[in-house]
Amino acid sequence: MSGLLSLRPERLRELSLFAVMAVAVFIFSLLIDNYIGGSFFNRVTTSVAITAVLAAGQTLVILTRNIDLSVGSIVGVTAYVTGEYLHNHPDLAPVLAVGYAVAIGAGLGLLNGVLVAYAKVPAIIVTLGTLAIYRTWLINHSDSRTITSDGLPDWVVELPNSTIVSFGDFDIRTVVAGSIALIVVLQLMLGGLKWGRWVYAVGSNPDAARQAALPVRRVILGVFVASGALAGLAGFLFLSRFGTITVNAGNGLELQSVAAAVVGGVNIFGGAGTLVGAFLGAVLINLLDQSLLRVPGLSEFWRDAVLGTLIITAVAVDFLLGKRLGRLSTSARGRRATGVPPPGQGASSDA
Amino acid sequence: MSALPEIDTAPVIEMSGISKRFDATQALDDVSLTLYPGETHALLGENGAGKSTLIKVMTGIHSPDSGVIRVSGEEARFKGSGDAQRAGIAAIYQEPAIFPDLNVAENVFMSHQDRGVLVNWRRMYKDAEAILARIDVRMDVRMLASDLTVAAQQAVEIAKALSLDVRVLIMDEPTAALSAHEASELFKQIRRLTDAGVAVLFISHRLDEVFEIANRVTVLRDGRLISSRPRDEATQAQAIRDMVGREMSDFFARNPQPLGDVVLRVDGLGREGVFSDVAFELHEGEVLGFAGLVGAGRTDVGLSLFGIARPDTGVVELRGKSLSAASPRQALRAGIAYLSEDRRRFGLSLPQSLTANITLATLRNYVTRLRLLDRSSERTVAARFREKLNIRTPSLETPVEQLSGGNQQKTMLAKWLNTQPSVLILDEPTRGIDVGAKAEVHQIIDELAASGMAIILISSDLPEVLAMSDRVLVMREGQQMGLFERGEASEEAVITAAMGAQ
Repeated sequence: MSGLLSLRPERLRELSLFAVMAVAVFIFSLLIDNYIGGSFFNRVTTSVAITAVLAAGQTLVILTRNIDLSVGSIVGVTAYVTGEYLHNHPDLAPVLAVGYAVAIGAGLGLLNGVLVAYAKVPAIIVTLGTLAIYRTWLINHSDSRTITSDGLPDWVVELPNSTIVSFGDFDIRTVVAGSIALIVVLQLMLGGLKWGRWVYAVGSNPDAARQAALPVRRVILGVFVASGALAGLAGFLFLSRFGTITVNAGNGLELQSVAAAVVGGVNIFGGAGTLVGAFLGAVLINLLDQSLLRVPGLSEFWRDAVLGTLIITAVAVDFLLGKRLGRLSTSARGRRATGVPPPGQGASSDA
Repeated sequence: MSALPEIDTAPVIEMSGISKRFDATQALDDVSLTLYPGETHALLGENGAGKSTLIKVMTGIHSPDSGVIRVSGEEARFKGSGDAQRAGIAAIYQEPAIFPDLNVAENVFMSHQDRGVLVNWRRMYKDAEAILARIDVRMDVRMLASDLTVAAQQAVEIAKALSLDVRVLIMDEPTAALSAHEASELFKQIRRLTDAGVAVLFISHRLDEVFEIANRVTVLRDGRLISSRPRDEATQAQAIRDMVGREMSDFFARNPQPLGDVVLRVDGLGREGVFSDVAFELHEGEVLGFAGLVGAGRTDVGLSLFGIARPDTGVVELRGKSLSAASPRQALRAGIAYLSEDRRRFGLSLPQSLTANITLATLRNYVTRLRLLDRSSERTVAARFREKLNIRTPSLETPVEQLSGGNQQKTMLAKWLNTQPSVLILDEPTRGIDVGAKAEVHQIIDELAASGMAIILISSDLPEVLAMSDRVLVMREGQQMGLFERGEASEEAVITAAMGAQ
């Protein structure tokens, strides 16, 4: 037990997420015939790819004590506009197509960031506003036309099914591997770069960060641009996965991204959390989401309620257990510190 | 001053053999404490000695593992702070727990929920004024609490306690955020309380105050009661010995050094409506004390020099070159560092590690060619400061929120020393830290000055300013009242200047 307690709280959270997933899989396998199978695995992982990319951006924003509610609308706008562009320019190189989506997302994130960091409007207000504004623009712009997969280049339509390696029916899809690789890289940057340390410092104490001469406004601007760019990438994944893009594309994804982050242990008040945690949160959410779809006799409208319950539970558990766990792990750490130095302490430490 | 209260009356609260354990820590070990009506009982001890735990047991927040609490002779078992309040026990903390958006009267009567549905405003204002008058405080009870000074907020808290017919009032470092003048006003209020038969348990790190106000002085150390003496039989030296368990001089004696060249020259510095006409020269190796009441503008001068609040008028020259720092970054680059008086708000990133805090302001020095942070050189630097400043921590990776106040203070000091400033502004560097840590900070200041650093020491602790400074600049209501040489800076002279008396 003391071995568990000597882990940092983030690690503990990540382990407990695995436990929750195992319990969920066990329960669903009792409720659903042929629950576990290749196609189910592939469906969950493909949807995880989109949520996880969004959750990574959301995590960066939340770490600085802000929130980005506009990501769902950014996904909708970038998916639609990129689809439209590909309709007209089917020969566009894949890299440029992805870059197009990412650049539009980054631009929309830049607007959020400027308003939050420089105009000093609270992030929840700014992004609630742009959530509506970006969506309204899309409705206007689309003139109720729908993007369909017919007009998209083949490589876009086939991307979701392209597979790097298969184990029987279980595929490791390119988009899944790509999003995992992206999150790993981002996590390493967050932990290893000066910029990453600044993100945590700004979130845990903005006043102290200012007095320590950190470029607080630039850091905040940066995370909003990153969140927008990642939402743009998610928009592209959305386009390739569904092919058909209406003006409602991406509706409600902001809820998913916030849920993934807080379930993954990112402190809603900033300053603490990891991208790996948010990724695991995204896996859990999509696992539950896709499983509930298959429970016989359960209305699909329950899925949002489950998501909402998860967010509240995660934050409540943090509050109720946080102090207790923190104290226990502190005393465990204190005991260790007086004894033999623990191996590798610091290697997995804070960022 | 009034005579000692009668203490042959029955005790109002009697705690005997109280023990409390948290995990591996024995926070209280067989502690007994008795309070009589009308007495002011001082409780002393270093941070971590068990004072807070004892208060929490008294106010029903913690229940003791063993021991008995008797209120007016009857055994009491508090199941929560509500029980303690009903028994007439209230506590006031260093940071007043007021409702900033409510007015004074509403705050005073916040805990009265038995006054019917409708608020009789006129009666409430009259009653609030009457209660404040009992402690000799006159203020506009319609004022918003957020507009009050900390001292006035504390008066509101005392009035709140009075309105609840309190019999035991615990005051946990009530003077930590007050100037000397405000503290003496608070003492008058305390005397009014004790005259009315309230027992006051008074906790403070300032020994002068303790010996001024208390009838009895009790010292805790490591969760045990070390001594409990009537004031007349206690001495400050004895109390310090009891607290730290060893001999220690109250204040570090500076080794006066010859001063070096002028580093910082300030002339006619002013900011509209805040302070004006501040002028001084600061030399290498000098400690220049800034004395004055809280709100006299000393911190604002510091903030202006550090580039946080821009001055409107005046000249600042650093080594002969004109300096106009518009941001902390420019100030740091020029070699000025400022240690904030509020370490939790402005000083530290509490959830982050000791190492991350120490390197925060200088992070660009730890970037390798691959743009990655060099963790091991960060740790080397942090380890050096840990040793040099004697920061007691389980590890370099411990979040600073888990360190004691004194060690947090030293961590913040390490962060600024790590910027290698030529001018270091220290704003209340020993506020709220225990006697041992305070002596260590004083020694560090002396060593820094001896190494040639120019230091501005802003402090409301007058004995500290006088003991540590080569010269003392006194401010009052934004005006510079005088600049005293070490020899002329007597306590009387500084207080007279700070209060504007003749």
